Amino acid sequence: MALHKEVLINLENKAHELRHLCLNTVVWAGSGHVGGSLSSMDIMTVLFHKHMTVDPKNPKWEDRDRFILSKGHCGVGFAPVLADKGYFDKELLKEYNHTGSPLGMHLDSTKVPGVDASTGSLGHGLPIALGMALAARVTGKKYMTYCLIGDGECDEGVIWEAAMSISHYKATNVITIVDRNKCMMDGKTEDIMQLEPFADKWRAFGFEVMEIDGNNIVAIDEALSTAKDFKEKPVVIIAHTTKGCGVNFMEDNYRWHYGGLDEDKLKEAQNSLDSHYETRMKGA
Amino acid sequence: MDNQERYANIIFLNAVLPLLKVIIEDDEKLTAKFSKLTGTLQISALCEEGKVGTHYEIEEDGIKVIKGVIESPTLELEFKSIELFNGFFKGTSKKLPKIKGIRHLKLLMASLGGLMKMANLLGLSTLPPEEKEKKLLVRLYFYLLSSGISQLNKVGHPEISKWVKKSPDRVYAWTVENDEEMSAYLRIKAGNSKASRGIYKRSKPFFTMRFDSTESALGILMEIDDMIESTIKGKLVMEGAPEFGAQLGEYMTVVGGFAK
Amino acid sequence: MAGLTYTVFDTTNLSTAEVYGKTLVELAKEHDDLVGLTADLAKSTKIGILAEHYPERFFNMGIAEQNLFGVAAGMATAGLTPFVSTFAVFTSMRALDQVHTDICYQNLNVKMIATHAGLSFGQAGSTHHCTEDIGIMRTMANLTVMVPADGTETAKAVHAAYHTDGPMYIRINRGFDQKLYESGDYEFEIGKAIELREGTDLTIIACGSCVYQAVEAAKILEATDGLKIRVLNMHTIKPLDNEAIMKAVHDTRRIITVEDHNIYGGLGSAVSEVIAEGGKACGFKRLGIPDTYSIIGLHEDLMNHYGIDTNGILDTVREIMGKDFEEDDDWEDEV
Repeated sequence: MALHKEVLINLENKAHELRHLCLNTVVWAGSGHVGGSLSSMDIMTVLFHKHMTVDPKNPKWEDRDRFILSKGHCGVGFAPVLADKGYFDKELLKEYNHTGSPLGMHLDSTKVPGVDASTGSLGHGLPIALGMALAARVTGKKYMTYCLIGDGECDEGVIWEAAMSISHYKATNVITIVDRNKCMMDGKTEDIMQLEPFADKWRAFGFEVMEIDGNNIVAIDEALSTAKDFKEKPVVIIAHTTKGCGVNFMEDNYRWHYGGLDEDKLKEAQNSLDSHYETRMKGA
Repeated sequence: MDNQERYANIIFLNAVLPLLKVIIEDDEKLTAKFSKLTGTLQISALCEEGKVGTHYEIEEDGIKVIKGVIESPTLELEFKSIELFNGFFKGTSKKLPKIKGIRHLKLLMASLGGLMKMANLLGLSTLPPEEKEKKLLVRLYFYLLSSGISQLNKVGHPEISKWVKKSPDRVYAWTVENDEEMSAYLRIKAGNSKASRGIYKRSKPFFTMRFDSTESALGILMEIDDMIESTIKGKLVMEGAPEFGAQLGEYMTVVGGFAK
Repeated sequence: MAGLTYTVFDTTNLSTAEVYGKTLVELAKEHDDLVGLTADLAKSTKIGILAEHYPERFFNMGIAEQNLFGVAAGMATAGLTPFVSTFAVFTSMRALDQVHTDICYQNLNVKMIATHAGLSFGQAGSTHHCTEDIGIMRTMANLTVMVPADGTETAKAVHAAYHTDGPMYIRINRGFDQKLYESGDYEFEIGKAIELREGTDLTIIACGSCVYQAVEAAKILEATDGLKIRVLNMHTIKPLDNEAIMKAVHDTRRIITVEDHNIYGGLGSAVSEVIAEGGKACGFKRLGIPDTYSIIGLHEDLMNHYGIDTNGILDTVREIMGKDFEEDDDWEDEV
């Protein structure tokens, strides 16, 4: 089902807004995993603003859709999404990383409303997502569980343990999304630990693979819609993204896996985001 | 000299005589008298090896009891033999000791005063009327019995030293309910024994003989009341295995037998 | 315990793990939030019994322990009460990141039943022994750690675990444990040690299969040495019953700990922490596996080899009773 133009524009605006908020959060936090936060922002925007059924005022609502940011280091991207959605006061973002603050590098499920799992140690999110999905089966509930994993994260064996079991249990109520930005901390994924043929690996594990442009709102939306209804096999959406998407000096640059922004750099980044947005809107 | 005399003597020297200090300290008048005196008082008996005895160092700030004899005490009550010494304290002999240093009249009078009081108290067969004296008497008995058993162990009394030799590190205690002042205990371990006054604080004693009141304690200690009946009536509570209580009671009787 | 289909007589023939399996089934009957998971060890850990009765509430995750515990955590977030069974060595080491991060850090209601603990899987060798888990699990915040003494106590622990909120780690053995309790008719409270024998000469604090050994040793010591030994079943290592320990320090001044675990980090270390902070003198010795990887053998033989059986305890008690720790130079009566 095609995306209605108005909806698309709203989503593009939202993604843009959230990218700005993410940059601000990185400044307030002192530094952050900005590259991966920007690459996955479109995905999180479409999920939280179109596909997921949630109630920010009732974060533990039993029937809510679940979202697990398995690549939990991107808290500086995720927290703005939650704050903006109304899970907690936006002002709290200004205390990111401050001593005693509920918001830190990796978001704590016991402290931050909207966070369904405390991730940070890579590989943990997908098994937990499966657990949530299987629980739905036991309790007869209809919620979907979305799990966003990093591509570097797929070096972890437990991701494949989870994949094997998602497939074995035909847990089609889990939708796995890979933020395939091809960068990790020490370098490009293919230089550090080769993942290709990546899609083949997922297929071999019994998944229906959808490869998309992970920074294209229309493509993300289509893939999610299809995935939700696909019941023959579990789905993995390999979202090909650009690390640091939106900020020209960060794009595709593994050195911006983690970093801080001084006044000048922030200005530069903000300007870049605005041009990026303009380019996208032209296409919309 | 037969063992019985030896044992009796040890008990008088090391368990009974030290009580003099307790009596003096408990009595205002005696304390006052002694506080003005200095010197050493010795009570001794001549024997084959020379002399046995107990002496007291009397200073301004108090009295110290020291087992054994010294060369030249200020005042000495010297018995001609251990038998006579024992006899005198048991009350079976009226032969007085030789008094050396008689010119120290004040010390002599005070000492005799103390010794008389001790003899009277320990010789009672019914409870003293005054509360203060009852309490003092309980303490005297507790200290006497604990030291007595310990001393008998040290000189090799057959039953007692066998019991102590076999024993793991255990503490036996005597006390009166709600009055810590009236307490004493005996620690025994693999042949060693030590009698102490007060409450054993390091841990819970292995066995405690707990009397519910001063009167109950005296009743049993003075053998007016029967121990078993008293236990049934609740006047005496044995905290710990009862067979150990019976054993302890036996040794208390042994000490009592020598001291009376 | 309502609804048990087996009696105390049966427990003599059941291994601890089997009792666990049966107890789970009883609980599952009454509580539909209870689910079971394992990593291809349904048969060995006996959780398979649950699978037989409630297949839709049982999940075998295959030989993938990290995934196993992650999935259990996910289930707990959705309001289920997962009981997860695998060998103690895998729960406490292979999947420790998941235990720590997914379950304990997020304080989720996952009940980890770790079987084949200590040297109970003797002939399998060190790859399947676990003499480190008490030490490891003690240091996980939010986690309750229990080591029941026999089959009957395991059932009680499982019940208590279900009815208490939060992450739980229950460590049980592989095979048949000596029956310690004649009946289940006694009070079991998490965190409260059980005094099985009174005494003031020395205290033996034990957990798991060593409790039975301690009781037997105490019986012999009373009969032959005339010693009155207090025996404490410290079935909960965390939270530890500090009060019972300090009472033992005060009343008996000598404590021995016995466990099927390394002497570093386990029950002995936990007790020593309390004693040291208590500040009172106390004779003390830890009995356990002496910081080595065990030889192979039958569990009973291994316990004997490492001195954590009745005879080992007897020797140690006798050694300690002879030791001085209080001033023993001055044996003069007070005058």
